[in-house]
Amino acid sequence: MHPSTVRVIWAIYRKDLAVWWQNRVSLVASIMPVVGFLVVQAVGAAAVGRNPVALVTLDSGPAGQQMQQIIHTADVFRLTDATPEQAQALLHDLRVAAVITIPADFTQRVLAHDPAPVEVTLNNLNLDFANDIRRAVPDAITQYYAAQGSASPIKVTIRETDLRQRDIQFFQYNVLPLLVLLLVLNGLVTSGIAAAREWESRTVKEMLLAPIPGRGIILGKVLAGFTVTFLLGLLMLLMGAALDWTRPAGVEWLTSLMIIALVSFMATGLGVAVGAAVQHIQPVTGLSINVAFYLFFLAGGIGVLAFQPAWLQAVAVFNPLAYGVHALQMAVFYGSTDQLGRDMLVLSLCSLAALGLGALSLRRGISA
Amino acid sequence: MNQLSYDLRVIWACARKEIQSALTERFATALGIFLPVNFLILFSLFALSGGLAPTAVVMADSGPLAQQFYQAMAHAHSFRLQTAGAQQAQALLQSGQIVAVVTIPAEFDTSLAAGQPVQVGVQINNLNTDFTNDIRRAVPLSISAFYAQAFPRAVTVTADEHDLLAQDTDYIPYLTVSILVIALMVGGLIQSGTAAAGEWEKATIKELLLSPASRWAITVGKMLGAFLMGLLSTGVVLLVLVLVVGVWPLHWVAVISFTLLTLLIFTAYGTLLGTLLKQRQAFVALALATSLPLFFLSGAFGPISFFSIPLLELIAKIFPVYYAIVLQQYAFHGFNLNTLSVSVNALVLAGYALAVIVLAVIVLRRTTVAN
Repeated sequence: MHPSTVRVIWAIYRKDLAVWWQNRVSLVASIMPVVGFLVVQAVGAAAVGRNPVALVTLDSGPAGQQMQQIIHTADVFRLTDATPEQAQALLHDLRVAAVITIPADFTQRVLAHDPAPVEVTLNNLNLDFANDIRRAVPDAITQYYAAQGSASPIKVTIRETDLRQRDIQFFQYNVLPLLVLLLVLNGLVTSGIAAAREWESRTVKEMLLAPIPGRGIILGKVLAGFTVTFLLGLLMLLMGAALDWTRPAGVEWLTSLMIIALVSFMATGLGVAVGAAVQHIQPVTGLSINVAFYLFFLAGGIGVLAFQPAWLQAVAVFNPLAYGVHALQMAVFYGSTDQLGRDMLVLSLCSLAALGLGALSLRRGISA
Repeated sequence: MNQLSYDLRVIWACARKEIQSALTERFATALGIFLPVNFLILFSLFALSGGLAPTAVVMADSGPLAQQFYQAMAHAHSFRLQTAGAQQAQALLQSGQIVAVVTIPAEFDTSLAAGQPVQVGVQINNLNTDFTNDIRRAVPLSISAFYAQAFPRAVTVTADEHDLLAQDTDYIPYLTVSILVIALMVGGLIQSGTAAAGEWEKATIKELLLSPASRWAITVGKMLGAFLMGLLSTGVVLLVLVLVVGVWPLHWVAVISFTLLTLLIFTAYGTLLGTLLKQRQAFVALALATSLPLFFLSGAFGPISFFSIPLLELIAKIFPVYYAIVLQQYAFHGFNLNTLSVSVNALVLAGYALAVIVLAVIVLRRTTVAN
């Protein structure tokens, strides 16, 4: 590459970074949704899967007390011990999602081998809460019988084996998809605005009239967008490591950084393409945010892709973000190279395609 | 009387000008109309993941008890089941197409008939604790249901469920109603806020401020124009919700009333924020950035009192989104999500509308050309 082209790239690169720094609103636009997601999820994660329930124990016999103890230690509810009146008030005021009542004759019935139902009054507003409780009560009953050892009438037991060495907490698991969302959102918004601004502020004329090669302009712009996006991703990964959310081990740091770099390149290329095509900051911002969110949710969002409907899984096959999220999760959480080659290949090809698209769009815009 | 007539003409002129300006910027207007629909679609996608765990069952025993156990799993409202051979199940698990393999052992029927213990193998791709715990709890649920069917006298302790509501509401119909409010918020904010900030960016605000028209008439006119434009996106969102998602409201009049009231609030908010920020890009960033946290905070997934974090509950109650969600859930499903009556919730929302409109008028009245 000719030294003058390098100087052009450097000049455009520095200029775009300086302009970006002066317009920190675009930074806010790309960071705030992710920060919002993170903060609310961090605060709300404790509530996931454990619903508020009032426990009314009317039986002071041994079986009733044992059942009460097991419901307490089962770790499947957020429990409040209450009298029947208090429990009804809590249910009415929507402070609890259900009331579990151990009836007064529970011990008597258990000893007589008569049916001994534990009453569950459920506020079945929606299936999310209702099914959690429907699963949790039998779980507690199974634990009650399991405590009886060989005397238990339930002879079917569970032998659980986990595929992964450790469970990842719900909030931790969501950090990496959000990191990828940050990269895509910032890459698209920052680069899109940087490209569109040249037309809106008419500075594109100066660049066109200057004796500089078009590829220098394109490379400078792409590199500036990449730098900002990659640094944000790095910052979030480091923050995750400092807070013990996402801490890759050893060589997985390198793998994680490579994945972040590839996603950043892809998002930057797409951003330049959108910016040069639309040429107005306002619609570019709206369009970029829409595209980023569609890509994010169609890659499975913060859920587990296998849980999604078949059509969404089929769509995700063609969404590079799904590969980025998978590769990062394998590297950061499990130290695994499972399908790493496939993920890196898809991300590399998509990055090249996006960069090509960005260059083409910018070149057409410049020569138009 | 003359003054009132003049003010009304100003309001109408400002409203018409808003609509005409919006229609000339077709791309931005199209984005503004379809952005709320996008929110509805995208957040619905978010809800899809909360469902059933795709699970393979390896039936090493095909006896009647094993079949009954399979049926108990199928009716546990927790699994999306398929039967598979052991190797096939492993391949599905490794490739991420399923998240659990349940193996019913070869001696299942004979062991149970003989009163001997038997272990069901459960292999889980424990990617995160949320769905892993769902599976860990769903298998005991299946065991309980199986015993209730196969050995009703052996296991006497059961759960006797009484539901407060006659029927369950699926997650998507519940959540999409909450999303409607967020869509109204984004639609109202973007439409009015970009228009208000645009007056400053294009410096056309000078002409308005230097004209003899009263500031309140200008503000109300601008809001009216944005509100009428916002009705377009509102109509599209409601059509998608009712006709595509299939959520049919219980109280149509309430749906329309609360929808218009919510749109009015956020149109007024948009005008206020746009006037304060004076930059469209800054405004759009703020509007979109706040919509996500508010969606999570305001009880979109269920009553906020279930989340047991008083601070979150307190913050949610500061914003009108919370009351709007409560009212729309009532209008669509007949639910009461807080201890206030429907009319009190509606009054709170109306109070917000009035307060924000007055605030927007005050801000413009205090604005000078030098600003």
